Amino acid sequence: MTSTVLPPGKPRHFNALPYLLILPTAVFVALFTAWPTLLSVYQSLFRQRLNIARFREPTFIGLDNYITLFSDERFRNVLGNTILYVVGTVPVSIALAFLFALLINRRLRGVGLARLAFFYPTVLPMVSAATIWMFFFTPDYGLFNTALSTIGYRGPQNWTANPDLALISVMIVAIWKNAGYYMIFYLAGLQALPSDVFEAAALDGANWFQTLTRITFPLLRRTTLFISTIAVIGAFQTVDHIFVLTEGGPSRASTVLLYELYQKRFENFDIGQSAAITVILVGVLLIFTVTNFMLSERRGE
Amino acid sequence: MKSRVLILLVIASICLTSVGSLAAQDVTEIEFYYPVAVDAPIADIINGYIADFEAENPDIHVVPVFAGGYGDTMTAIMTTIDGGGEPPAVAVLLATALYDLINADVIAPLTPYIDAMEDGEAYLDSFFPAFLANSYYDDQIWSLPFQRSAVVLYYNADLFEEAGLEPPDSWQALAEAAQTLTVREGDEVTRWGIEWPSGWPYWLFQPLAIGAGQNIVGESDTEVIFDDPAVIDAVQFYIDLSAVYEATPPGVQAVWGQAPTDFASGGAAMIVHSTGSLRGILEQADFEVGVMPLPGKEPGTYATVPGGGNLYIFSGVPQEEQDAAWRFIEFLTQPERAADWSIQTGYIASRQDAYETEAMQEYLAEVPQAAMTRDALQYAQAELSVQNLGEVRNIFHDYLQRAYNGEMTPAEAMAAAQAEADAALEPFRE
Repeated sequence: MTSTVLPPGKPRHFNALPYLLILPTAVFVALFTAWPTLLSVYQSLFRQRLNIARFREPTFIGLDNYITLFSDERFRNVLGNTILYVVGTVPVSIALAFLFALLINRRLRGVGLARLAFFYPTVLPMVSAATIWMFFFTPDYGLFNTALSTIGYRGPQNWTANPDLALISVMIVAIWKNAGYYMIFYLAGLQALPSDVFEAAALDGANWFQTLTRITFPLLRRTTLFISTIAVIGAFQTVDHIFVLTEGGPSRASTVLLYELYQKRFENFDIGQSAAITVILVGVLLIFTVTNFMLSERRGE
Repeated sequence: MKSRVLILLVIASICLTSVGSLAAQDVTEIEFYYPVAVDAPIADIINGYIADFEAENPDIHVVPVFAGGYGDTMTAIMTTIDGGGEPPAVAVLLATALYDLINADVIAPLTPYIDAMEDGEAYLDSFFPAFLANSYYDDQIWSLPFQRSAVVLYYNADLFEEAGLEPPDSWQALAEAAQTLTVREGDEVTRWGIEWPSGWPYWLFQPLAIGAGQNIVGESDTEVIFDDPAVIDAVQFYIDLSAVYEATPPGVQAVWGQAPTDFASGGAAMIVHSTGSLRGILEQADFEVGVMPLPGKEPGTYATVPGGGNLYIFSGVPQEEQDAAWRFIEFLTQPERAADWSIQTGYIASRQDAYETEAMQEYLAEVPQAAMTRDALQYAQAELSVQNLGEVRNIFHDYLQRAYNGEMTPAEAMAAAQAEADAALEPFRE
């Protein structure tokens, strides 16, 4: 292929090929992402309850669904739980992933085993992981309690049924499950780093910690941004382990946005409110993703 | 060349479809959605029944669809209908899903079929009344019992005999037996007197409320009774089992899955669980397993509550498919099949005459506990099923667990549950 340099000022000849090439993707995105989102926005403006005969047909009610949701203390608690869940799982998983990656990037004996151990949870489906943890969390004889008691823990043992611990329990499982996955990205990033900067740093007498904080971590910034994007989206989207471990309880202490959405849609048959929650969910994720993307683009220049 | 291949393909496909539709004319195909909720080879058993049914009814072809748990099956069907698709002709769904299904206008009443039977009345009377409690609405019958269970108390009869205890006949006796049978080594509990799962609590709680003299569901489809003194008493008794008698773990017990294993391995002297766990427990336990209804508050009173799934016909399929579905339901509910289903799965047979069959008689001689699960039914009252069930049930769970976990007193929790549930039921009262 020859590169063509167009004379300035002359309009570029329209080339249909690129548009044709992205057409299949565009159609899929439009059909399975954009259309459902628009449909949710539309449905969220109507009252429709499939299990109330006279509200089975949708009635336009403007923003009432959103007003009802936000004036409901229970829904605000769900939002609070969701924020706690995201803030509690994402940074910890990322920090662990970074540490794991540093650890297994070294040429040490037993690294293969460590790699396997860190990555293993990723291979499991979330439901299997949660089922395993259900047995770990068992009061009295569960592995988790046994391990904790050997290091002196004497607190409550009833992890998944204690209102103060239920959310933490599902967070622990999410961190355990995800850290190994994010580690892979850091590992790839680490192995792609240029060696000359490290040699220069060594010549300048930088110690291990300085190298880490001044060179390795900044160079991996785009990796971190990428991981934090997928981690936050993932945190909003995973509920499988909540179904298995706590069913959102006790007393909704571990109910997060997506779990609430499921209950509104499939247990209460409330089309309008579940559409409103969908819109809120999509909105939050969209704002986050766009901000993150813009940050990475700007600083990446 | 290309176009010739294309034309040939078109002709071939037209021929094939017409052959297919010719064959389809004399055979009605119906879909049957079913969940798996117990530890038994359900799919094999269902496939066997379908083979037998098709041998007797060559004009009907049944396509079984395993759709997950009860919740998944319901979600699958409702989403299909919502998306403009055709529902299955017949499905097994929770008996308590009745009002949600009627309000969504997706099921067909079964009364016309039963009326058209030669002995329709006798047919209906053969079912255990407790299992039909959630089938009626507007003087019509909308579902028939299929895979039904009940809440029972499993007790380790060997331990009872060693301690010189009789099976408990009152709350007091139950609590004292649980206390006596709890074993501690230092601070460690090596055996709990009783385990009473409460991770998803309304069902296992209901026998307590009924035993105190007030079921939590009223006569009408919009009435729940949460703040009655008897119900509050029942909540208090559950709490007392740990707070006063120290015979069960404190707070909410999210141990539905572990409890049968704990019981069978000697980690708990008694558990409250579904009759559906009987098979698994008998297979694992190396002691004499006792099964009985829950004792009530007053000496000599007992209580239980039914659960499980019924057969429904969906109105969104052509009439001949609905008719075929009814013939399949009739086949599935015959006494011999109800007996076989019970023997193979551990569910309580839906009909009383199933217990007269030879196969069942032999089975009962071998496993007398199966007769005890049936006998418990005489103390049954209706399972919680009201309009807007999902929301009302979540409200009740929310506050019941707050009381169990000591975040609210039983009286406060039940008053709040009543107020919120009434608000959730308000749109249905008129």
